[in-house]
Amino acid sequence: MKSGLKIIHWIIFLWLLVVIIRYNLVVGYLTLFFNYIGLLVKDPKAATTVLSFTFIDSVLSTLLLLIIIPILFLFKKKWTFLKGKLNFSFAFLIALCFVFLFAPIISNENPEFSKNLAVTKLLPPFSTVKMIELKPNGDGVISEAEKFRQRMDKIIKLSYNDNIIFADSLKLSSTVKYYQKHVVKEIPLEEILTEDGLPVVKEKFFLLGTDEFGRDLFVRLIFGTRISITIGFGAVILSLLIGIMLGFTAGYRGGLMDILLNRFTETFLAFPVIYLVVLILALFGSSIFSVIIVLGISGWMSLFKIVKSEVLSIKQKDFFSTAELVGLRKSQLLLKEILPVIVAPVLVNMVFLFSNIVLAEAALSYLGLGIGNSYPSWGSMINSGQQYITRAWWLIAFPGSGLILTLFSVNSSGRMLGKIFNPRLKT
Amino acid sequence: MNIGIIKILLKRLASSLLTLFLLVSILFIIIRLSPGDPTDKYVSAKLGNELSEKITEKFSLNEPAVDQYFSFLLNAIKGDLGVSYNYRLPVFKVVWEYFSFTLVFASISFVLQIIISIALSLWIIKKQSKKLDRLISNSSLFVYSIPSFVLGVALIYLFAVNLNLFPISGLKSLDYENLSFFSKLLNRLQHLVLPLITLSAAGIAMFYKYIKEGMDEVLHQTFIINLRASGVSEKVILRKHVMPNALRPLISVAGVELGLLMSGALITEVIFSLPGMGRLAIESVLSRDYPLVIACVFTAGAVIILANFLADVVKLKVDKRLIKGILN
Repeated sequence: MKSGLKIIHWIIFLWLLVVIIRYNLVVGYLTLFFNYIGLLVKDPKAATTVLSFTFIDSVLSTLLLLIIIPILFLFKKKWTFLKGKLNFSFAFLIALCFVFLFAPIISNENPEFSKNLAVTKLLPPFSTVKMIELKPNGDGVISEAEKFRQRMDKIIKLSYNDNIIFADSLKLSSTVKYYQKHVVKEIPLEEILTEDGLPVVKEKFFLLGTDEFGRDLFVRLIFGTRISITIGFGAVILSLLIGIMLGFTAGYRGGLMDILLNRFTETFLAFPVIYLVVLILALFGSSIFSVIIVLGISGWMSLFKIVKSEVLSIKQKDFFSTAELVGLRKSQLLLKEILPVIVAPVLVNMVFLFSNIVLAEAALSYLGLGIGNSYPSWGSMINSGQQYITRAWWLIAFPGSGLILTLFSVNSSGRMLGKIFNPRLKT
Repeated sequence: MNIGIIKILLKRLASSLLTLFLLVSILFIIIRLSPGDPTDKYVSAKLGNELSEKITEKFSLNEPAVDQYFSFLLNAIKGDLGVSYNYRLPVFKVVWEYFSFTLVFASISFVLQIIISIALSLWIIKKQSKKLDRLISNSSLFVYSIPSFVLGVALIYLFAVNLNLFPISGLKSLDYENLSFFSKLLNRLQHLVLPLITLSAAGIAMFYKYIKEGMDEVLHQTFIINLRASGVSEKVILRKHVMPNALRPLISVAGVELGLLMSGALITEVIFSLPGMGRLAIESVLSRDYPLVIACVFTAGAVIILANFLADVVKLKVDKRLIKGILN
């Protein structure tokens, strides 16, 4: 990579990439958004019923996509890291952030979509299949809300669609004959969706192939990234809260409290974390929240140690005793006097913690104890891919390399941050 | 001096026991907090509530939580953590069968990790090539970043599926009983190669970083320059002066690393379906065999506490300065 390349250039490049490739989709989301506002004015009650999480998610992503570049230029002077040199780990992490923020724009497919298993099962990367769409039935008089819902379903794909048929090959004559492996089926030509009088036959392209249920691996990878990063952030923030609270209490109070908390921390360090996590998830059931909480609870020990030792040394400083004498409350002492001082070591530690938690989450999903089958996750993708290892390398290669690159980028960025904050460290 | 050592050891032993006690207590709290009533499965339309009440009575589930806690503690001390639902045996009997494998497996990996990382860092220091140093240190970070299950599955794909060099899983072949002693040994080894690589890779990368950094630090100190100036050979300097100093921090890291090793062994055992405690724990979790899960967690925790205690003892033995430090 050229040395002249800066982080902001990379961000703009990715932004342009998303906007150019997904131009139609962005416009689609925007019209959907304006339609929705129209519906809200006309019929507020119906508007609330059609609202769904994916819709809000998509609209928010689109709006964010539109305002992110102006924001970047506004704060260009303030955020100096934007002018930092670009290297591989930063580039990869920024791309990950893009996937995290703009997943609905990168792909409007549903990660659970599977249809015509005979055709789509275990397709290698870069394969295409023929796709025909049937005409939607029931064109009677429908309400505004129903109309909006239909329009929405066209843009935000559902996890199941009766009107889509995948086929290996097909023949158009007075009827449509299509082949699904060894089965030949026939439907009248009138049932197919037409455009300008001609029947529409599309090609469905699977960039990274499909899994054992015929689901698009690329889409699953995109949404799996989201889940992993969400869990990582959630658990890191939880650990941060626990670590800072306990560390502050132990360092500030000292005495018996210090001894007790130290013993408590030692116990947690002695716990074979994965066994603990497995036990808790088995007893309490696993969902996104329970995974976040359990991983958060099992990762705060190093933060506790750092915060405690820093608080102990800050306690001796003049500025701190002055602040105490002035009569600041404990929460103010923590927020105004201590946090600004310890932000550097804590940040470095958080970066490493993030990579640990992403790893732990993937391992849990691999073991079948993660967030379950309702969401795609890197670990569970590798787990299910292991059964097809002789036939389908792509099931493991893509989520696996995604995981390795993520962890490597996070770890090496953590090292770089550590070097910046603590120049005395050599390697 | 001897009394001092005993004093320190007793202190450490006491704190280890305290940690073990806290571990048991946390286990109890987790179980008590978990949703669901253990007698629920005895309630049905045909049975009514009678059986479940009987069970509640029999297992003293109606007693206050504090009483239950004390009887739990008492039983834990006696080494009785209940009966496995699946195996119909006392849990520790089951755990012991599987634990012995994990112990051997993890120990071999531990020894491998230390030997390879020390050899590697010695080799790099002898080579004195900046480029090679950088390459190894960067690739060690990369290796450290590879999750064990990705590495394991990739190794299976490469060496077991494609090249057919090593078996995919298990601990012995089907025709194991008919083999001669030597080929039995070879068979075992063949089955262990991929799991050992999987389990050791990350640990080697981590130990390498610690040892290399420690050696670099020692090499830059003045007494080394002094030794060189006095004409002591590089070999002797490395072996007698650099190594002991660089290995000292390793011992305390090793204690912590054992925790990593336990969780790494768990995943490795699942990937290669080896008969270890980790796979036992996962299987019993998936089949809701709670007493067995708890026994596994307890055993793993106890092992780590014991290992940390041993690491402290070794540290005291190696570094006499520590004793003075603690006693003062």
